[in-house]
Amino acid sequence: MPPVSALDALREALPPPGSPRFWRALDELADDPARRALVAAAWPPLADLEPALDRRGFLRLLGASLAFAGLAGCSGPPPGRIVPQVGRDGRSVPHAARYATALATGGDVVGVLVELRDGRPVKLEGNPRHPASYGGSDPRMQAAVLDLWDPARSDAPRRQGAPSSWAAFEGEAAAWRRRFGERGDGLRILSGTIASPTLARQRDALLARYPGARWHVHDPAGGRPGRVWPDMSRARTIVALDADPLGAFPGHVRHARDFAEARRTADTMSRLYAIEPTPSLTGRNADHLWPAAATEIPKIAAALASALGVAVDVPGLDAFSHGRIAAMAGDLRANAGASLVLAGPYQPAVVHDLVRAMNRLLGNDKTVLRELATQSDDEPLEDLVADMHAGHVDTLVLLETNPLYTAPVFAEALRHVAHTAHLGRYRDETAEAVQWHLPALHPFETWSDLLTLDGIASIVQPVLAPLSDARSMHDVMDLLLGGVPNDARERVRSTWPQLDEEAWTSALRDGVFESTPPPVGARPAHDSLSRNPTRPDASPQEAVARRARSYMPNALELLFRPDEHLWDGRHAHNAWLQELPRPVTSLTWGNAAWISPALAAERDLRDGDAVRLEANGRHVEAPVLVVPGQATNSVTVTLGYGRRSGIAEGLGYDAYTLRDSDDTWHIGGLVLTKLDRRDMLASTQAQQDMGRRDIVRTGTPAHPPKGGSTVPSSLYPDVAHGEYRWAMSIDLNACIGCNACTIACQAENNIPVVGKEEVARGRRMHWIRVDRYHEGSPAAPLTYHQPVPCMHCEHAPCEVVCPVEATVHDSEGLNLQVYNRCVGTRFCSNNCPYKVRRFNFLQYADLASESLKAMRNPDVTVRSRGVMEKCTYCVQRIERAHIAADRDSRRIAENEVTTACQDACPTRAIVFGDLGDEASAVAKANRSTRRYVLLEELNTRPRTTYLGALRNPNPAWGES
Amino acid sequence: MTDREPAHFATPAEVTDIVTGLVLVHRAGLRWKLAFGAAALLTALLVVAIVVLLVRGVGIWGVSMPVAWGFAIANYVWWIGIGMAGTFISAALYLTRQGWRSALNRFAEAMTVFALAVSSLFPIFHLGRPWFSYWLAPYPDRMGLWPQWRSALVWDFFAIGAYVIVSVIYFYVGLIPDLAAVRDRASSRGQQVFYGLLAIGWRGEARQWERHATLVKILAGLAVPLVFSVHSMVALDFSEGLLPGWHSTIFPPFFVAGALFSGAAMVIVLAVPLRKAYALEEFITDEHLDKLAKMMLAVGWVVTYGYAAEIFTAYVGGDPYDTALQRHRMQGAYAWLFWATIACNSLSIQALWWPRVRTSPLALVVIALLVLTGMWMERFMLIVTSLYRDFLPSSWGMFHPTVWDGAFLLGSIGLFALLFLIFVRLVPVLSIAELRRHAAERVDTRP
Repeated sequence: MPPVSALDALREALPPPGSPRFWRALDELADDPARRALVAAAWPPLADLEPALDRRGFLRLLGASLAFAGLAGCSGPPPGRIVPQVGRDGRSVPHAARYATALATGGDVVGVLVELRDGRPVKLEGNPRHPASYGGSDPRMQAAVLDLWDPARSDAPRRQGAPSSWAAFEGEAAAWRRRFGERGDGLRILSGTIASPTLARQRDALLARYPGARWHVHDPAGGRPGRVWPDMSRARTIVALDADPLGAFPGHVRHARDFAEARRTADTMSRLYAIEPTPSLTGRNADHLWPAAATEIPKIAAALASALGVAVDVPGLDAFSHGRIAAMAGDLRANAGASLVLAGPYQPAVVHDLVRAMNRLLGNDKTVLRELATQSDDEPLEDLVADMHAGHVDTLVLLETNPLYTAPVFAEALRHVAHTAHLGRYRDETAEAVQWHLPALHPFETWSDLLTLDGIASIVQPVLAPLSDARSMHDVMDLLLGGVPNDARERVRSTWPQLDEEAWTSALRDGVFESTPPPVGARPAHDSLSRNPTRPDASPQEAVARRARSYMPNALELLFRPDEHLWDGRHAHNAWLQELPRPVTSLTWGNAAWISPALAAERDLRDGDAVRLEANGRHVEAPVLVVPGQATNSVTVTLGYGRRSGIAEGLGYDAYTLRDSDDTWHIGGLVLTKLDRRDMLASTQAQQDMGRRDIVRTGTPAHPPKGGSTVPSSLYPDVAHGEYRWAMSIDLNACIGCNACTIACQAENNIPVVGKEEVARGRRMHWIRVDRYHEGSPAAPLTYHQPVPCMHCEHAPCEVVCPVEATVHDSEGLNLQVYNRCVGTRFCSNNCPYKVRRFNFLQYADLASESLKAMRNPDVTVRSRGVMEKCTYCVQRIERAHIAADRDSRRIAENEVTTACQDACPTRAIVFGDLGDEASAVAKANRSTRRYVLLEELNTRPRTTYLGALRNPNPAWGES
Repeated sequence: MTDREPAHFATPAEVTDIVTGLVLVHRAGLRWKLAFGAAALLTALLVVAIVVLLVRGVGIWGVSMPVAWGFAIANYVWWIGIGMAGTFISAALYLTRQGWRSALNRFAEAMTVFALAVSSLFPIFHLGRPWFSYWLAPYPDRMGLWPQWRSALVWDFFAIGAYVIVSVIYFYVGLIPDLAAVRDRASSRGQQVFYGLLAIGWRGEARQWERHATLVKILAGLAVPLVFSVHSMVALDFSEGLLPGWHSTIFPPFFVAGALFSGAAMVIVLAVPLRKAYALEEFITDEHLDKLAKMMLAVGWVVTYGYAAEIFTAYVGGDPYDTALQRHRMQGAYAWLFWATIACNSLSIQALWWPRVRTSPLALVVIALLVLTGMWMERFMLIVTSLYRDFLPSSWGMFHPTVWDGAFLLGSIGLFALLFLIFVRLVPVLSIAELRRHAAERVDTRP
């Protein structure tokens, strides 16, 4: 059919809509003399503009550019049908839809719900249906929203550093394909651990298409990923050997939930022993912490295995250690079948074999849900580097990996490769070094799928159209395979032929498959455990004996650990994560070398003293941090800092330079020299000793923490009770100190980041902080965590002193801050005994970046400088519930209002609700015998109250 | 009125000649010019600092969480305390008929006005949003908004406001006859017009004198209670808080004594160079210095009693937070500040027991400077040591001042010095009328 109008004719000549090249194509049309007439007919002003830019034309362009500037932060819905979650009340709200999808965050795969406001993803929650999160969050998940809107994201392909286009790269890829021929010799792909079945399918297709190609996997921080997928809710006795199921294990959000559930009641509380060279979140929550050098752990594992009846020779241990091992073994045996021994990814295979043997012997079928392969089929980075040096590599494609930072040997090897391309969300170290940098899509912008280690599959569905001219790993794979990228949705859809349309729709809606057989080609999960359970493989005695010989008392060992938030460095560009205190150290914006209090005393070192760490002939200079619970002669360096690009540039030191391979987790022979220099560390908590003050109440099942409350009398009248009495209860027994609440609050309440210097000055803005206090000896302390949001005191000291009534009480018990009215005397903060108020000393909120405007929660004011702010109990959510309830002429239902911190908490430590409702969770919590009021003697009458923490020590455990 | 102890032996005409001569005839010397230049430079620094503050925010200072108040509030309390002595000397000693005050009251009142002017900068600029400082005032507002009356900051706003108004009026009313005297002696047209306008038609009639005396008496009667109220209110800014170290009933009298202490010290610091530069030994005698020194010694002991009482009540009360605070003050990170305060405010003044020290200008200036330093450190110590370690150890933190903190402190000293240097060139630095009356009474009572 011939075009009926000039506009239709023009439309015919253009590529189909949805192509990112639309505007560019219009330009090209105008450039083409043959088609200029077409453009002139359809859109005369455009044709006029191009050849001669006169004054009017210029002004018109100027006006248009101003108008379009406002659109920079906008994006439409994604192509392809996506399926929202149904709202809580059975309705789906179009302007505030929630979509289920999944995220891979630093070695973990979690299901999430993305909340969209007017089409913009602004907040994220754990997917309650997804077994890896159960609705809980960890900080990395919460930070994904900022990743999406980050103004620093790479926005266009670059060739040799100069702006280029995808069309140009498509041409390049076609040339490569011609060169590959049938065999594809010299083609190498490097990626992180493959968690996407679709990518695995594409990898298999690529390797089948090009038999000469090889695929390498580089995971600098993964270690040997959890060989065991535990069920911590059923375990009564848990022994963690350098294992961190609560912090670093894949599935840790779920493990934390299970762990907290198993400890909710004093009578059936589980007991956790942590034996580790450097404190982890697990060690911080253990009932017994046993700091031991990394090289000691195999000996302890062997001794424990031997005590349990595994036939293994035990290297010599002192009587003290034997006593402890006997205590643990007795506890494990007493709870045989409901016990759990775990080994961490940083321990050698021999420890994992011993652990497997122990779990088998104890009959822990119910607590060990799944055992995973000890050997991976992935070809390691070392082979690739060797081949690159040997000249076997002709074309190298790097998929969302940054080896120029994470593998120091890589830079030199890269010079021997003729063709290189890198797909990544940032112009990072690798992007600067390769020929082609290709911007990658954020998971919220593309179709994909993800599989957890224990085989739970999720479809990753896009929730908005791409914000930049980027593509996914799958698109790049398609380019390498056969030219035109397939339809993104179809590509994923065809990975899952077993799902019919209905199952596909519900998979999209729920974010998780009902029961998932791991598809062919995904992460290999073959079982290599068909041997005698009491006789583990590979002659562990010899390995243990060898390790024992390599252990020299008083020699320093160097441990490598991923940064708790930045992981291997992949999240270093995320300012929320940078500023979120690390759970163990409370450091922000930098890393330190962790040393034990004993070593600090011996070497006369204080926090921030710079030292030179020398091992294997290489060295770094780092500030030290004295970490209670660190093994005496172990020094921990964390990966992820010392970046050479992005916002993290110049922060911290690069621990990778000391490292040999992805599998190096500790090395001996460390030489530590004190330098005559101090480095600034931005810590958020300097004091971890609560002295004799009644701050965190603790107890044991036999002597539970004292609760109850005696409200002193007051001269002021009691506050009038409105229709609701909002209150919060925080269970310190459940809190593991992960800081997910802090970052969730940051995302919900538009809390700005302030940067390293400001944090060091004590000006961080987080509305809820997690305090931690140590008890007992610094060598092996017990640690308690206490989240502190605003207490919403009924007799609030802040309200009395404000001269302009900028902080007032409402009838429902909220202590409100009126930003408009605040003049900034800061007296309220001085007078707040809980120090939960935060002041905008400078203009912290970034009012300039367009994309950050789109990220913000439209229900929450963005604060300007000079005003005080603080936790509001998420008043915007309360108001939303009020509006919904008023519309239906009903009361606000229980659990209709949840706070952001409550939603994020992986262990459900925070409950919020109406105290007036006797049946509400918060009213129930307030009737607990463990309930107490922080600083009750000040008679501030807080609405936020605490439940005391419990620890479950073994009386037979010997203290040093 | 009978004044005791007339101090000088000049005749009334000589008094007028000498004092108006300082304004009309005396030329600015090199030392004045140097001092003026230095003060102007520091004032320029203050102006730059204020501009930077307005552009960037109070974050340019070292204030933080938990120490949300720092130099600005210390400066404010310090300056307002210095201002006290002027009003006290001119009003309280006037009401108690201490004739010797006539040689001091004029420049002491000027000192009060200038110290108040400098001090009132700080509560405004320490705000997060200084341009809304008027919200502390009650004014009819469409939204029906009023100040929050329970806050001590509002009472303080009124106390300072009233004090500033009365102090300025009192200063000016006392000046009127002297301005007329200068007008009458002025030879140039410009000076005649300038002082003529300021003298608002004073002709020295008996009726005018009578009304003047009544007004001065009324204003003095108003000023004396205001002196006590303003410093009590400043103290309540702190003691209304529930922080250990602030929440103390001794604060109001303690602050009044501290104010008089630093004010007396500042009068000495100003009097000694002034009498040397203008050769006023006849009027500002060693006897005056002796009396000021005794005053400083006496209130110094009251201040020292305050320190002791705070420590005593903390330990007698046994409140764990109060005792911890005292421990942190005396042994913590800011212990040097506490002990330096004690050294300056309690120990250095003990030298004043010796009459020779009390009449040695150099020794007095040194001690007075020590007291001024000590009082500033005391204000700073009271603010910071209570804030840096309060209830929850998790939020404890230090205060690290920045260059801008220093700029505001130095700049405020510069502004005060600048105002005072202009004052000594433009206004009779001694009260001509009162000194003339002493001279006249002496003539009358001559045998």
